Amino acid sequence: MSTAEFEQSVVALEQEFSVPAQQGPVELEARDLSVWFNSRKVLEGVNLAFPKNTVTALIGPSGCGKSTFIRTLNRLHELLPGAALAGEVLYEGEDIYGPTKDPVHIRLSIGMVFQKPNPFPSMTIRGNVLSGLKLSGMKRSNHDEIVEQTLISAGLWNEVKDRLGHAAGELSGGQQQRLVIARALAVQPHVLLMDEPCSALDPASTLKIEETIRELSKDITIVIVTHNMQQAVRVADYTAFFLAAENEPGRVIEQGRTTEIFGNPQDQRTLDYVNGRFG
Amino acid sequence: MANVDLEQRDLQAAATSHRGDRVFNRAITAAAFVSLIVLAGIAIFLGAQAVPVFQQLGFGFVTSTAWDLNSDPISVGIFGMLYGSVLLAIVGLVIAVPASLLLSIFIVFIAPKKLASILTNSVDLMAAIPSVILGLWAFYILNPQAAEWQSLLHDYLGWIPFFQNESGNFLGTPFIAGFILAIMIIPITTSVTREVLGRTPPELINAAESLGCSLWTMLRYVALPYGRGGIVGGIMLGLGRALGETIAVFFVLKLVYDTNWYHVIESGGGSVATLIVSRFGEASGPFEVQLLLAAGFFLFLMTLGVNMLANLIVSRTGRLKK
Amino acid sequence: MTTTFDPASLPSLEQQTKTRPWRQRTTKFDVSVAIAVAVPMMIVIGMFLFSDIPGALVLVIYLPLQMFASGCAAVATKGKRGILDSVIIVNAVGASIFTFVIIFSVLWSLVSKGLKALSIPFLTQNSTYISPSTPLEYGGMAHAALGTLIVVAISALIAVPIGIATAIYITEVRGKAVPYVRFFVQSMSGVPSVVAGLFILTTLILTGAINTSAFAGGLAYAVLMLPTVARTAEEVLRLVPDDLRTGALALGSTRARTVLQVVLPAAKTGIVTAIILGIARVIGETAPLLMTSGKNDATVANPFSDPISTLPVSIFENVAQPYPDAVTRAWGAALILMVLVAILFTVARLLGRNKIK
Repeated sequence: MSTAEFEQSVVALEQEFSVPAQQGPVELEARDLSVWFNSRKVLEGVNLAFPKNTVTALIGPSGCGKSTFIRTLNRLHELLPGAALAGEVLYEGEDIYGPTKDPVHIRLSIGMVFQKPNPFPSMTIRGNVLSGLKLSGMKRSNHDEIVEQTLISAGLWNEVKDRLGHAAGELSGGQQQRLVIARALAVQPHVLLMDEPCSALDPASTLKIEETIRELSKDITIVIVTHNMQQAVRVADYTAFFLAAENEPGRVIEQGRTTEIFGNPQDQRTLDYVNGRFG
Repeated sequence: MANVDLEQRDLQAAATSHRGDRVFNRAITAAAFVSLIVLAGIAIFLGAQAVPVFQQLGFGFVTSTAWDLNSDPISVGIFGMLYGSVLLAIVGLVIAVPASLLLSIFIVFIAPKKLASILTNSVDLMAAIPSVILGLWAFYILNPQAAEWQSLLHDYLGWIPFFQNESGNFLGTPFIAGFILAIMIIPITTSVTREVLGRTPPELINAAESLGCSLWTMLRYVALPYGRGGIVGGIMLGLGRALGETIAVFFVLKLVYDTNWYHVIESGGGSVATLIVSRFGEASGPFEVQLLLAAGFFLFLMTLGVNMLANLIVSRTGRLKK
Repeated sequence: MTTTFDPASLPSLEQQTKTRPWRQRTTKFDVSVAIAVAVPMMIVIGMFLFSDIPGALVLVIYLPLQMFASGCAAVATKGKRGILDSVIIVNAVGASIFTFVIIFSVLWSLVSKGLKALSIPFLTQNSTYISPSTPLEYGGMAHAALGTLIVVAISALIAVPIGIATAIYITEVRGKAVPYVRFFVQSMSGVPSVVAGLFILTTLILTGAINTSAFAGGLAYAVLMLPTVARTAEEVLRLVPDDLRTGALALGSTRARTVLQVVLPAAKTGIVTAIILGIARVIGETAPLLMTSGKNDATVANPFSDPISTLPVSIFENVAQPYPDAVTRAWGAALILMVLVAILFTVARLLGRNKIK
């Protein structure tokens, strides 16, 4: 695809999705966030704000700390040995690492979808959707309603409504990933973090998930890590470009509206990356 | 041997390689079937001893409980011993299974790394203590302690049928024998369970964490269902060990030729393996030895069945090392 | 317009300090835990000192008390959902302490009681003319230790080659019967030791083929040792990288040569570990020896001619004797046996550590 064509498609997409002109209130924000594993600094000085009900794509070459970054956003980072950090992550204006914050509440408000579809193999499709309620000990009575609503939101309802009692392992990879999205939605998070949710999927499933993401972004804030630049263009309102120089921690090189990052980047490295010249 | 052979053929190695390999393969294959031959040998030879016993005593040998060779006709039956082996194993499992599960949960999910590795080594050490030493310890150290625990059980929970004791003698009970079996089962079951729980895929644990799990809900809904097959297999392996254990039980159990159905803190019980050892030394003649061999045949069948089942379960839930 | 990274912020970022906020505990947490540990402990100690409730019962009361206290602390710090966690943790710690107590008790009684028996004569003499009532100064366990070593050596000579060959069949020859062979080996590992003894007794001793002797005992031990050696050796051979095999085969080596000269030497320490674990599996087994090698107060060196005493059988003979000196002899023999086992395991551990490096 030539640059001219690419820009055209960007413009076309921009019109199609009508990115909000005004930035809404910020839901989640990282301030001066640096992250370590033992003595190795993997991220440095990340300042990123995620406005409410928008999609933000995190792009950049492998090993630049994108996945680590989103794991710090819902306190999964701390489960890895040697993890440490500096700076703060504000959710609805409060630091999620504050002394009185309960990681469980944070994780329930800020859901996560992983790279590999990981439904619980010992549970049925229905059981998987409701697993968050069980795991976190939430009490809800309207289970049927939750199952239907979240599966509809995840775009899976029509495919599985007749076999909710079947094992989750029966589903295809793409269906499993949408099931996992439904599972994350069932606990009604305000933010959904997605770590390369389509990297293990075929193009058709990828398209379905992207539709789902656009649909979901009407109600929740989404942060998505992706290696696929077309995908960033297709789904994201905002984009942040991460890069780690040799033996240096990853940094956010440039951030802004997706159209700007892809159409008119300020930094030469961003330009190179979005045009596929490295990484 | 084969090594020397091959050295001599060095010059013609290329030409004779196939033949050399064939000889080697045959030797190795023959050796590999020794285990089958031994298993079949045990079944055939002990089975052959069981045949005349059955001809003389009929099914009474496995359905009745007695050991009296002086009466006429002689009255001999090992039902109480077979049942006793199972009862002791159940007592052992009731103690060992929760302990093993908790131990492995502690090692895998709770303890700091250092403590976890100390515990793992301690459990291995426990497995290395020969059963005759455990028996010695049980006879002199555990017995008086356990008698006290049992009299407490009797005093406070005596209304539960299991904890009745009419004789007032708390030594030589199935409880003590089961307890010593538990000490032997714990390392076996723990090492399998620890392995299985340690293999819970990290992506499932991540998913559970991101859905706000607690330790309990993660275990209940993710780790334990995932490892269920392996855990059951580990318990069965422990059961196999418990059914076949001889000498430690011999030291602490008062063998009675009667069926102790469920009075676990009443002195006296049965066990096939213990019967064999205790009668063997003072066997009155070839026929009593034959009776013991027949009893051994049934013990073999029982443990073989349990072990085969255990191995099937473990291998079905994915290859486990060790 | 987009925003780009501001290099001017770098110096201030350099000064950031690492924190691990998830490890910081609130005072409330610390206080709750302290109370939850201290109060049940104080109650129990109080009961122990100032009431006539039996000590064992106090211990029994302690566990539920501790669970209740920890449950309260969990509610105070984490809410209702922490209760079950705290119950699990209390019980898991309890199970670990239980394990430690058992191991400590066994080892402590072994050492404290066994050391009383240890002396030069005990380690060097046999038990000829020794009866259970003979004072401890006379006689020893040297004949039994020698017997154990002979029996174990015979069983190793038989079981180790067959066990390793079985492992080679599974990992190297990879014949059609591999799943069956594995199944038989696993089933064989479940054969009760007393049955192994009966097997040798009925096939070889009662038929008059061999005497009650060290050789018979070695055969019975071999039945028990074979599956352990085979299974451990299989694990070890699996660790040998396939590149080594293909490399050797590509150089024109035969399969037999590859196994004997490349694969086995590469797995040498692991194979030794397998042998040691096999020996450790059988060395304390008593029941099969009662039937196959018997006992003998004199020192026997001929493995085929006469019955021979071994450490486990000597323990067996001396337990429950009404004479304290006999019992002390049993503890002494047990201590020697345990030391042998400990040496074997330590060597296996050290070798195993090298293997990983």
